[in-house]
Amino acid sequence: MLKPGDFAPPFDLPCASGDRIDRLALWQITTEMLVLFFYPRDFSFICPTEVMGFHRRMAEFRAENTSVVGASVDSVDSHLRWIRELDGIDYPLLADEQGRVARAYGVLDEARKVAIRATFVIDRKRAIAFAVACPLSIGRSVSETLRVVQAIRSGRLCPAEWKPGEAFGPIEGDL
Amino acid sequence: MAVALDPAQKRRLFERLSSVREIVFGVQDGVLTTAGVLAGLSGAVHGRMEIIMAALASTAAGALSMGAGAYLGTRAEVEVIRSELARARREAASQPYILQEELLEKLGQEGLSRESAYRVVKLLSASPRALLTTVEAKLYGLGSAGGNPLLDGLTMGAAFLLGALVPLLPFIFVATVHNGLIAAMATTALTLFAVGYFQGWLADRERRWLSGVRFLAIAMGAAAAGYLIGLAIAPLGAVPSL
Repeated sequence: MLKPGDFAPPFDLPCASGDRIDRLALWQITTEMLVLFFYPRDFSFICPTEVMGFHRRMAEFRAENTSVVGASVDSVDSHLRWIRELDGIDYPLLADEQGRVARAYGVLDEARKVAIRATFVIDRKRAIAFAVACPLSIGRSVSETLRVVQAIRSGRLCPAEWKPGEAFGPIEGDL
Repeated sequence: MAVALDPAQKRRLFERLSSVREIVFGVQDGVLTTAGVLAGLSGAVHGRMEIIMAALASTAAGALSMGAGAYLGTRAEVEVIRSELARARREAASQPYILQEELLEKLGQEGLSRESAYRVVKLLSASPRALLTTVEAKLYGLGSAGGNPLLDGLTMGAAFLLGALVPLLPFIFVATVHNGLIAAMATTALTLFAVGYFQGWLADRERRWLSGVRFLAIAMGAAAAGYLIGLAIAPLGAVPSL
């Protein structure tokens, strides 16, 4: 799995965006930051809480000049039907059917040929700024991802449990 | 005229015959063991009463042993099943999505598309009880909390006893060892064929007589082997006089 500081591998894949099929490449993303999250499969009982969680907080991510993109090994048609099942989501889902992108990010479960539950925050230089993976039974915290984005964008040292509006940590030289 | 039962009737029959395994196993083992003992002793011992006493002792020991074995076996099975069901129920209460995901995977392995499996599981999830019983049946192969150890033990013991009487009674009532053995083997063969035929009927096989013949062949093969072993070890019992 890639770690902070690693170069973010490029992708160029079909995607389901709203109710249409499109194509999305990393270079096309113009926002300062990108949250790229992998999940195992469409039509599951754990993933929708995360997929919908990001959907509900999209306005806050946009306010941070950040895009959100989901990815799984399902086909783009499956993504479309899944999005309809969820009554629509406000960001694209990549169809990484061969698992190449998941493998490039080091999050492909080779035995099951599905991506593990992993989230990457990619910075303006298209390097990994933050990476986290969760077991199957634990859903990700969308709030934590947003907090990390806000912390990275602050450009300051952020102590544990830091939230926007709170004091920053000591100046870098003090660490 | 053959009586054909519809699936609902057959299910009710299975429910009534919840101890069918014990009955078939017990009868077959009782018939076979006693026929084997009679055949073996007839080859090794010449006294008719000695053979009858030994067969009676073997029958008593066999019935008690099989009954105790069935009791302990069912008890162990029930404990394991109850523990597994309790775990599934705890998981269903605290982490239903884990069971949902497991059921989703299972249905996918059985040929449903991911989307269809999802819809089936979602429908089942409307009733936690329906989800749980489906998970128990599909994932763990458990339909109920298992049998009754005491009932299974008594059934097995009684079935063994009943089976043992099949070769024993003709042997007792026929005057000579040779004729008694022939009568015992004849009733044994008929009973074993009937048990095999009954199994074939329960399994809804087309050629039920074949089930009967197979059952008979295996059982009589064991009895013949017992007789030959008796003949082979007979010289060992002849203690030379000093």
